[in-house]
Amino acid sequence: MKLERDVYIAGVGETVFGKHKMDYDELGRIAAFQAIKSSNIDGPGMIGSAYVGNAHNGIVTGQTIFKDIGICGTAPIINVESACSAGAMAVHLAIKDVAYGLTELSMGVGAENHTLRRKSGTAFMPAMNDIEAVHGGVMTGKYAMRATRYMHETGATIEDLAMITQKSRRHAKNNPHAPYGGDYSIEDIIDSRMIAYPLTLHQCCGVVDGAGAVVVCSGEMIKKLGIEKPVKVRGSVVTSGPYHNRPRDITGDDITEMTSAMLYEESGIGPKDVDILELHDAFTIAELLYYECMGLCEKGDGLKFLRDGLSTYGGQCVVSPRGGMLSYGHPIGASGAAQMAANVKQLRGECNGYQVEPVPKVAMSHVTGGGLSGTEHAACTMHMLTSDW
Amino acid sequence: MAEKKKIKKEKEPDITFFHPDLLEIPKEGLPYLKGYKCKKCGQLDFPKLSPCPTCWSEDFDVVPLSRKGNLYSFSDLYIGQPGLETPYICGYVDLPEEIRIFAMLKGDVNTFKCDEEVELTTGPIRKNADGLPITSYMFQKV
Repeated sequence: MKLERDVYIAGVGETVFGKHKMDYDELGRIAAFQAIKSSNIDGPGMIGSAYVGNAHNGIVTGQTIFKDIGICGTAPIINVESACSAGAMAVHLAIKDVAYGLTELSMGVGAENHTLRRKSGTAFMPAMNDIEAVHGGVMTGKYAMRATRYMHETGATIEDLAMITQKSRRHAKNNPHAPYGGDYSIEDIIDSRMIAYPLTLHQCCGVVDGAGAVVVCSGEMIKKLGIEKPVKVRGSVVTSGPYHNRPRDITGDDITEMTSAMLYEESGIGPKDVDILELHDAFTIAELLYYECMGLCEKGDGLKFLRDGLSTYGGQCVVSPRGGMLSYGHPIGASGAAQMAANVKQLRGECNGYQVEPVPKVAMSHVTGGGLSGTEHAACTMHMLTSDW
Repeated sequence: MAEKKKIKKEKEPDITFFHPDLLEIPKEGLPYLKGYKCKKCGQLDFPKLSPCPTCWSEDFDVVPLSRKGNLYSFSDLYIGQPGLETPYICGYVDLPEEIRIFAMLKGDVNTFKCDEEVELTTGPIRKNADGLPITSYMFQKV
């Protein structure tokens, strides 16, 4: 999306992720109010519009979240659904309102509670009107087939895939928002139970609940709010997945390749200049492929990029500094907004115990959405943020 | 027969065959998948897309697709959809017509390999609302 004027992030919020007794609306309200308070907003009248991403929790989710915050009746609240991409898409739409002068300040929120509703021991799947879903398709299987093919073509092993989990969970060890952080041996990861060959339990994101929120505003407003560390939105791209039933290379990802190329073009920032990256690491294989798809390294060099330590603290681009979905779990409507909240906190040097040093200046986020047959993913949302102080 | 008719009166029975647009099981001969070739631009698709996403034509010729293809990738699934018995196996099969089919694979876990030849078969893929097996296409080793 071409930004017609400068857009800044004033404040962000995120809940602790994990199994919650609080429903999505309470989680969403906590994250939204954190974001509001950290933006120095002194009353509900300043919020021009709000977008809320959610996938499974029902109808009028946004209005339910915001009823206590006092903008029901004063601002349009629009609910956004595109499976895993919903939260980031909500932020994109808030950015669009500010970029095109419709509002001076808007909010994007992602919130989801799975565990109050969902039976454990089953996998997420596309809707039942999808031909792959009817034939047993599940998201774990879709990623597992990418892993099977990648291993077939490159000779990579399950142990190689497990290194992704090991890295990300080590990153999250001191992150209080991430329930799965810690030191895991490769054996811990590959010996956990098989979910979808070759993906074992610890190579899959957990089914959890949580929320994230982002307040965006104009240049004039960011000054008025007195924000000391404004984060500038350098690019915000939403795409839909190319649809066809012909053979495609699933060790690549057409929609991620397309979306990242558009984001680099829009922001004027290339892949080698990105300091930190939160990506859609719902399963280990995805992160490995996306190093290549996003041009962090050459095609075929993903494993080398990981092994050489280029995607961890001290490396070229710290991938999943918060621990990613592999350490947070993945409440699907929430993750995209939570990734952006975590990136803003890294840029501001607020991540005590898991802060990337030197403090990063360029942060990228990436979240795909949906398992529509005929596409790799139905949607993809990416953002590029820089520190601007 | 009499019993069946009785059920029909009470409620429309759930289908036991997934979709006639997808698969033909002839009385004699082997089952085949039905490709849809756009009469205007020639694009071939499975499953049927209407209108043709390239030229928006709504006229198609039905073309029987090859019964053998290459297993591009697969996964043995130990955690599956709610209600499906595990483990089961899914895979992508590439047909010579440049069509990729997602399907369940008939066979045992730990036995499939990428790039091996598989052939069309049929079998129960799930149960319908009445608890009866739904028959659809599957692939198995040649």
